[in-house]
Amino acid sequence: MKTIRCFSNIVIRPAGRLILAAALLGGLAATLLAAEPAAAAKKTGPAKKKLTGSELYAINCNRCHQERYPTEFNSAQWQTLITHMRVRANLPAKQAKEILKYLKEEAGG
Amino acid sequence: MKINSRFLGTTAATCVLGLSASPRSSAAVSDEDFNALKNVVQQLQQAHDQDQQQIQKLQQQLGDTQTQVQKTDAAVQAQSSSTIRNALHNFTMVGDAEVQYAKTFGGATDPNGNPHRNGFLLADFAPIFLYRANDNVLFEAGFDMMLNNGSVSGHENSSSTSVGISFAQLDYVMNDYMTFVGGYMLLPLGTYSERAAGMLNKIPDDPLGREFLPGAGAGAQLRGAFAIGDSGQMITYSVYGANGPSSIDNTALAGSLDLGGNVGLLSDGSTGNLHSAPSGGGRIGWFIPWGGAHKDLEIGISGQSGVWDDAGDHYWSAGVLDASLHIGPSFELKGEFINSWFGTTDAGTVHPWAVWAQAGYKLAGLNLDLPVISDVELIGRYDKESNGQGTSTRRYTFGYVYYLTNTLLFEGDYEWLHSNDLNVPANQLIFQLSYGF
Ligand code: HEC
Repeated sequence: MKTIRCFSNIVIRPAGRLILAAALLGGLAATLLAAEPAAAAKKTGPAKKKLTGSELYAINCNRCHQERYPTEFNSAQWQTLITHMRVRANLPAKQAKEILKYLKEEAGG
Repeated sequence: MKINSRFLGTTAATCVLGLSASPRSSAAVSDEDFNALKNVVQQLQQAHDQDQQQIQKLQQQLGDTQTQVQKTDAAVQAQSSSTIRNALHNFTMVGDAEVQYAKTFGGATDPNGNPHRNGFLLADFAPIFLYRANDNVLFEAGFDMMLNNGSVSGHENSSSTSVGISFAQLDYVMNDYMTFVGGYMLLPLGTYSERAAGMLNKIPDDPLGREFLPGAGAGAQLRGAFAIGDSGQMITYSVYGANGPSSIDNTALAGSLDLGGNVGLLSDGSTGNLHSAPSGGGRIGWFIPWGGAHKDLEIGISGQSGVWDDAGDHYWSAGVLDASLHIGPSFELKGEFINSWFGTTDAGTVHPWAVWAQAGYKLAGLNLDLPVISDVELIGRYDKESNGQGTSTRRYTFGYVYYLTNTLLFEGDYEWLHSNDLNVPANQLIFQLSYGF
């Protein structure tokens, strides 16, 4: 009984507080960063193009472990694995999508 | 087509009629003219026949195409309904497996007073099950099945088998910037716990100081990332609430701290009057790539805090700084600075801390083009810890990773240990074969 009570106290009650904290933090970060891309764009000028899926793959997919080649998994598996990595590695959504597109194009079946 | 051919037919007929209606009566039509006209009529007749054949052919082709379309439709339908029914389509298993050999030298006894083991073999199978419910929901669970030979205290040369859960969590991608994670999660205190698996670790042993931090906890977490500009730079965050550390025996004595978490069972098997307050924690990271791939720096700061004793009077807190640097495809440097503090009734505030730094250099960077040498990475690590209660240990590790493939690694290391704890062995030799699948 005690464990159950304990569990509900622990998992549910703080969730509200947590979400609030996270929302505040997220909001703060968003405000801080909203200005950044514009500033960065100004610095680099319009000539600089967006990174492609394969470039983003090269930057991200071998910094925590040896590179896993696109041909090692099929498209459906990559669809699952990219979410796994997006969560584990905190990858920005757009970058994850670009990388997934690249992986699926090159995938083994 | 039909209209055309009818028109042609009628024209032809009219011509024939016209021709036959005005036979030789009219002297104006010469034989030559008549024959020419006859030729024209014959040609028209031929053309008409050809058209008719063409129409039949086309009609047949149309029929064929229609049946083909129907067939394809049916196939597509069958395929999509089987995708829905086939759960395995969204199910993926990855993970890693290790086989380890280690030999320890020196060191007086193990903590139970038995002579120290002189070699053991470990086999570890750690599958990760991933189930994608849809594009935004993923369930992931990592298990650890381990056979540890000759390492059971009091039973020299015996073996033990253990099955454990490393993590079991539900991920819900709420939007581009935030993902909700709930369940039993690896904790983002530093990066080592979240980024440790056989195929990732270049040295089989964990860095010193990681035992001062909980590796996982049950709770809930929000995490995500914001891209900065278009260079790949990003800010990452994770915030969580989790069952914090607890006391193994109801007290707040320094020796009673259990980082394993507030799970409800005391060491004597009874359910304890555990504190009900969770711990809160989080990490903020900054990833800065420069000049494309293989040149990047990541720095992070993380921490956790919450009460640990049953009465809820004493806090356990931790603060970790982490960094990881890549300069070119061959060189990596990473490390963590770990601090923790906890209040006790017998020893005041205890402050365990540790620092570790690890460098790796892939010999491929020398461009020697030698088959084996170019697949080797040399690794060195320095770590130092103090448990805040009088024991401190320093360790120097030097070793290699031989990459048989991108996921099959053969590692070997020699560790030099210096500790004021006599139970800690002096030196250790480890070999490990690890495979990521
Ligand atoms: C922040 C570190 C990090 C980054 C960046 C990262 N990974 Fe991973 N990856 C891991 C960890 C840790 C594991 C193993 C543990 C696990 O899966 O839970 C893993 C496992 C995998 C696996 C499964 C193999 C196995 O044996 O578990 C694949 C495939 C993979 N990563 C692909 C990728 C791809 C593709 C990218 C680029 C988008 C990527 N990773 C980026 C940390 C990372």
